[in-house]
Amino acid sequence: MQFDRRSSLWHMIAAPIAWSLHFCVVYGWTASVCARGWDAGTARLGIAIATGLAIAFIAAIGWHAWKQWDYLDDFDYEHDGPSVEDRREFLGHAGWLLALVSLIGVLFNASPALFISSCV
Amino acid sequence: MTDIAESMDPGVAAAIDDETRPRGIYPPTEEMLNEPVDPDLQKAQEARLRAVWAEPPGWRYWSAVNNSEVGAWYSLTAFAFMLCAGVLALLMRVQLAVPENDFLPADTFNQFFTMHGSAMMFLFAVPMFEAISILLLPAFLGARDMPFPRLSAYGYWAFLIGGIFVLSSILFGVAPNSGWFMYPPLATEAEGPGSDIWLLGLSFIEVASIAAAVELIVGVVKCRPPGMRINLMPLYAWYVLVVGGMILFAFPPLIAGDFLFEMQRSFDWPFFDPERGGDPMLWQHLFWIFGHPEVYIIFLPSIAIAAMVIPTAARRPIVGYNWIVLSAVGTGFLSFGLWVHHMFTTGLPSLSLGFFSAASEAVVIPTGIQLFAFVATLIVGRVRMIQPMLWIAGAVAIFTAGGLTGIMVALAPFDWQVHDTYFIVAHLHYTLFGGMIFPIIGGVYYFYPFFAKKKMSDRLGRISFWLTFTGFNICFLPMHLTGLKGMPRRVFTYPGDIGWDWLNLISTVGAFVTAAGILVFAWDLLRPKRDQDLTERNPWGGGTLEWAHDVPDPGWGVRGVPYITSRYPLWDQPNFLERLDTGRFYIPDAPEGLRETVVTSAVDAVPQHVARITGPAWCTIWAAVFTGGAFIFPTFHMYPPAIICGILAVAAVIYWLWTSTALVPEAPMKDAGLGLTLPTYVSGPRAPGWWGVFITMLGDSTAFASLVFGVFFYWTARPDFPPEGAVHASPLWTALAAALLFGSWAATRAARGINRGGNPRTAQILLIAAPLLAIAGGTALVLAVWVPGLAPSSHVYPAMMWALVVWTCAHVAAGVVMQGYCLAGTIFGKLTPRYDADLWNTTLFWHFLVVSCLITAAMIGILPRML
Repeated sequence: MQFDRRSSLWHMIAAPIAWSLHFCVVYGWTASVCARGWDAGTARLGIAIATGLAIAFIAAIGWHAWKQWDYLDDFDYEHDGPSVEDRREFLGHAGWLLALVSLIGVLFNASPALFISSCV
Repeated sequence: MTDIAESMDPGVAAAIDDETRPRGIYPPTEEMLNEPVDPDLQKAQEARLRAVWAEPPGWRYWSAVNNSEVGAWYSLTAFAFMLCAGVLALLMRVQLAVPENDFLPADTFNQFFTMHGSAMMFLFAVPMFEAISILLLPAFLGARDMPFPRLSAYGYWAFLIGGIFVLSSILFGVAPNSGWFMYPPLATEAEGPGSDIWLLGLSFIEVASIAAAVELIVGVVKCRPPGMRINLMPLYAWYVLVVGGMILFAFPPLIAGDFLFEMQRSFDWPFFDPERGGDPMLWQHLFWIFGHPEVYIIFLPSIAIAAMVIPTAARRPIVGYNWIVLSAVGTGFLSFGLWVHHMFTTGLPSLSLGFFSAASEAVVIPTGIQLFAFVATLIVGRVRMIQPMLWIAGAVAIFTAGGLTGIMVALAPFDWQVHDTYFIVAHLHYTLFGGMIFPIIGGVYYFYPFFAKKKMSDRLGRISFWLTFTGFNICFLPMHLTGLKGMPRRVFTYPGDIGWDWLNLISTVGAFVTAAGILVFAWDLLRPKRDQDLTERNPWGGGTLEWAHDVPDPGWGVRGVPYITSRYPLWDQPNFLERLDTGRFYIPDAPEGLRETVVTSAVDAVPQHVARITGPAWCTIWAAVFTGGAFIFPTFHMYPPAIICGILAVAAVIYWLWTSTALVPEAPMKDAGLGLTLPTYVSGPRAPGWWGVFITMLGDSTAFASLVFGVFFYWTARPDFPPEGAVHASPLWTALAAALLFGSWAATRAARGINRGGNPRTAQILLIAAPLLAIAGGTALVLAVWVPGLAPSSHVYPAMMWALVVWTCAHVAAGVVMQGYCLAGTIFGKLTPRYDADLWNTTLFWHFLVVSCLITAAMIGILPRML
């Protein structure tokens, strides 16, 4: 298995993995807090912290992916050639798009905590 | 001319010893590809390939394992099960056509809707994906076959046996009758063997699904043709990769749930019984963690067919390849965050409902993107309305309608209104018909000339389409209204004075029109076509590799493994077909008389290895039959024959592995053509087998994680977990078990290194010690819960501790068998310092196993005292 980010599928899916972890943490934390009868404010605080961390991580992944895609350098978009550069930019491009969709996912998942202030 | 060393990843290249390093020129130059092949040599090569890949004659035909045979049987079997489940649906529609009908008694109706849902999901939708992928994937990838053909065959026979067993229960009136999601306590308390048939029969089929997922993932990752970097993969392969990954994380929770459920049914361990600390909600969670991704497991590979048909119809490359990859991968992930939207009415905290509602809305983004990419391709292309495209267009229309109601029911307050009504029935059929049935039928029309070398009828196809399309909408569109008017699902009849009667009558008429459409399709598919001419080679003018097939079928899959530089080689690569047909690509010959394909690196598809592939065999069928026995006998509480079957199944698998996998080759390297010399035997991460173990163990770990989740679930959901004054596992025995199992792992790992270092005698001693330590460790683990007297049927806490121990010990037993297999290999010369793939794979298994052993020890020995 390869861990060089320019040729690694794992880097490409790092952002959605961050989304999954955020989702599990937020869900597990809320379930525990509500089941123990603690204050929903505690749940919301935890959600805010987890969301902040997830956004920071996804932003970092997205930034690296953007640089790997290197769009503004040559405006390559399709990456359908047989070269190393095509593959590298493709993985960057796909990683960047996945970071974007993961970011939206994290924001969506955190949004109930903005509107709902109780466990019931 | 470039040496292959320059194409290899430096990290990987450094890890390969010099003896098995690929040597020669890569990538091939234009001159090399243009070099003519002597016509006599070409004929001789073709004759040898034909002989090696010939299907077995006469009754031995059924021992075939080739992907073209297994894929065809698999698809036809799944289709037959679909027709059976469809008949059940029609009978239910007859019963519901008029109010107060007595066509079917209530219990029969319950059995019918349970079997309709279960069969459509487990015997048709998921197996159909595996079947079609087994049939088509090697052709998309220019490979001769799947990496593990006998595993496909084993999966198929397991599916056939399990499917017939589950489905035939309906003929004896003992079918499961608690709904396809088998909620406890209804299903745990149900009389008769129905629930057991569901649990054991379908668990058996789930195992076959996971086997297929492993095969397909390894196929996509390791069996791409040289040059087909990850950015050039056909979109279908991307979807297969995503869906394979999803199966690994979605099916194991259900298997873990089935395990707990069956323990309750058979031995009264109270996992779902609230009186003894259990909780029926755990089943709902485990079921839907499987059940919702399942919808996307069905949808994605079907829409992948659309991604193959649309560029051909539009006569241009797909628009937004990157966006579709994003969409497939993104949907794969997000679809795991939706499961609780099936449980909106169970009283979970509203904050939790909010997360799942939000994720259910978010998944629309990637799903929508791929539909827009398809539409964009059609807009900018020069569309020919070929017949399969009709089905794809119908699919997009119906799926979009289902998606829109999906957005509605993803909102918890709306869902509270329509939960368990016919609105949901309408919604799910719109998504499944649009997301699965229509694209699959379109795909059958499109790919039929590829796998049958004949064409289906254009006219019958159009008749079938319009009947199915209109019938479907007549049947299911009114159901939205029926549901909004309050008609609940799963009722066997209803009174006539509340405005549901005319809607139901319309739906019944529509159901029969749909069935007529499907029957026309079935006739067109199965009607004899002996007198019909063979198809031309590329009837639709497609650009992907499957249309480089040979007509008539010579059996070898692909003449040579090609060198690829484009997403659409038939459109873009000059002289491609001529080069392919004259055998100018890789491994154009079979001088050793062995079935072979080329294995390449995971991301850049640099050639690594010429893999020897297994051929026809009966042992896979025996393995499937005995595995079936091991699952089916317990349904009737017949445990001794089940145990005998289990032992025989293991014996059949060992025979199969011993006689046909990781064989010591006649020469360490071979000429693969185009100036390239490749190893014939590799071990570790370059070998497909290692990837197979790795991927299987990922799935297995998910099942184990589900059990661990169960412990934490009870802890959060129940005040009495663990109950006051409960007896805990013995810390001494637990610690001893952990130490012994850790020792067994260490001995296995050390044996691998020492064997590789050229000291097989010491490795043998370690391989004798390792299973002894493992057996001692497993025994100590059982004693840890046995000695203090944890009684599993008294409360869910001891039951859960026992469940973890039983699970882990079963895996330790498998680990012991593998260590013994390696030991035997070193004794009989099958495993040498140089040829050590089995030991690598066993060590990999033990890496996963030792982690789960240590977690189990912590879960039973340490955690309960902390809670």
